[in-house]
Amino acid sequence: MKDIFKKEIFRVFSDKKMIFSLFILPAILMFGIYGLMGSLMNNMVADVEEHISTVYVQNAPEGFEDLAEVTGYAQTANINYLSADTSANKIAEYKDQVLNGGIDLLVVFDKEFMAQAQAYENAGDPIPSVNVAYNSTLNYSSAARSVFNGMMLGGLENVLLQNRFGNLDLLTVFNTNEELIVNEDKANGEFLSMMLPYLIVMLIFAGAMGLVTDAIAGEKERGTMANMLLSPVKRSSIVFGKLFGLSVLSVLSSLVYAGSMILAMPMMMDGMGELGGSVSLSPLQIAELLGIIVSMVLFNVSALCLISVFAKNAKEANAYVMPLYMAVIILGMLTMFNAGGAAPATTAYAIPIYGSSLAIQALVTNELTLVQFGLSVGMNVVLMLVMVVAISKIFNNEKIMLNA
Amino acid sequence: MIEIKNLTKVYKLNKKKMMELRTKETTKKAANDITLTARPGEIYGLLGPNGAGKTTTLRCVATLLTPTEGSVSVCGYDTVKQPDKVRESICFLTNEIKLDPHFSPKYLFQFFGRLHGIDEATIEARRKELFEYFDITDFENKKIEELSTGMKQKASIAVSLVHDPKVVIFDEPTNGLDIITARNVTDLLQKLRDEGKLVIISTHIMSEAEKLCDRIGIIIDGKKITEGTLPELLAETNAADLEDAFFNLYKVHHKEEK
Repeated sequence: MKDIFKKEIFRVFSDKKMIFSLFILPAILMFGIYGLMGSLMNNMVADVEEHISTVYVQNAPEGFEDLAEVTGYAQTANINYLSADTSANKIAEYKDQVLNGGIDLLVVFDKEFMAQAQAYENAGDPIPSVNVAYNSTLNYSSAARSVFNGMMLGGLENVLLQNRFGNLDLLTVFNTNEELIVNEDKANGEFLSMMLPYLIVMLIFAGAMGLVTDAIAGEKERGTMANMLLSPVKRSSIVFGKLFGLSVLSVLSSLVYAGSMILAMPMMMDGMGELGGSVSLSPLQIAELLGIIVSMVLFNVSALCLISVFAKNAKEANAYVMPLYMAVIILGMLTMFNAGGAAPATTAYAIPIYGSSLAIQALVTNELTLVQFGLSVGMNVVLMLVMVVAISKIFNNEKIMLNA
Repeated sequence: MIEIKNLTKVYKLNKKKMMELRTKETTKKAANDITLTARPGEIYGLLGPNGAGKTTTLRCVATLLTPTEGSVSVCGYDTVKQPDKVRESICFLTNEIKLDPHFSPKYLFQFFGRLHGIDEATIEARRKELFEYFDITDFENKKIEELSTGMKQKASIAVSLVHDPKVVIFDEPTNGLDIITARNVTDLLQKLRDEGKLVIISTHIMSEAEKLCDRIGIIIDGKKITEGTLPELLAETNAADLEDAFFNLYKVHHKEEK
């Protein structure tokens, strides 16, 4: 068993191509993708902030220009004033330009805007309006709108209200003080608990998939399996040797995946603001996480072995394994949408893959009980042993192993 | 010693196989009531056309297949009841069983040595001896995939002999080899025989059987038709050489099928 274990490990580590595709490529991919996404988003945000928007304003009320200077809005935008007699055709033309990005914002005040606003006394008196045209699909235009609303319209409103009431506090009926009460661990884990189980489950499976199909069906295809079967070694030893060797390799591979993902994540988060939050795990939790991952890997690898044994070659094995991969993805996704909802039944933890995924989720949000942990890990191990027995039996089946 | 008693092996045919063989039967008797005994110190040859049941018979001896009826014992151990004991004393070579192309002959020699439970010193000594005999020493650290067909075959034989088996089973030993490598292999088989080992091979090449085998068993359509030394077979069939002898037998025994 030890020798077969060593052989499986050696096989991968002596092959540059295998090392590259299992350990180096995932890291490069993760850093590449996240890094690229992060820097693109950063660029986009910076670009929008630096952009000086082009704004057209018709019938600007008195004091508008002064207000633009005072609030500093004049520095962030290129303001073009249109006179009251600008034709409707011309306005329609400007709107077209808003649509295709030539102009970021078109603002039209009512002709009697200031007069009406100041003359207002009783209910039923006319209320003036201002028409703001923008294009929500263009980042520049959206940004121009929110900046204009905040700085100019907000400012204008305050000035007019001040004039009307003399004291702005008259408008305030009461203050609301909101106090946020959350379990900090849970708040931290919320985002991660949504993504992490799914990612871990999927990556572990994906890491093992190619390895196992090659080590079982590939060996059959190359005719090297029969040599092993001819040696006076117990079939179960062969299965265990392969299983543990492949498990170690897929744990390593998924660690590389997970590690590079965690390291690369901040590169993306920079562009997304504070969505992430940090997770701190106690030593016990880390041990539990390892336990879950290792037991899940053992389950995955033996399930993959069991399927691969029936295939004549690696290609066929990969095809057979696909439905299982789909199932894993779906089970992982189920937990993703479960986050934050009602707690799942304890028995759900005994379902392979899904249970492990739930357990990781609960672990991150600090809610995992020992029973749940034991159930998910225990089930993985029990199923693994059952499958090993089945595979050993199949190793003795001449029809399947030798195509006889 | 190999004792095969009333060996019958029936394969179930699936639809695809039935199409290939153009038959409506759902089973095929690959070996039909074969009984034979091979002793240490001789080369026993199974001679027959393709599909006669030679490989099936040898695979049963090598514990890879389970007989449907009858029994096979190797060195006194039954291949079904004590397969591990049988595996300890045999080596089985065929073109279908290959060495992993990714490893070097040296590594594989060690690997299989360990699987057989041999200590490192003995493995090392065996390796020196066998690698020198086969001229493998020069490329012992190269990957199998980088070797030529002849070199691969040599490495494969050397590795399979790591545990110094008492019984050597060789399915079509010279198939696909050039004359020089083929000669190397037949020389080795004779050397092993002279060392007192039991060598059992299958072949469809008459000249090979004539030159190499001490006794020949002729198999046609899964049945053992006759066996004996070359002179015995020639006398039985009134033929000048083995090829004529074989065809005389083939005409008589194959007719019934068509």
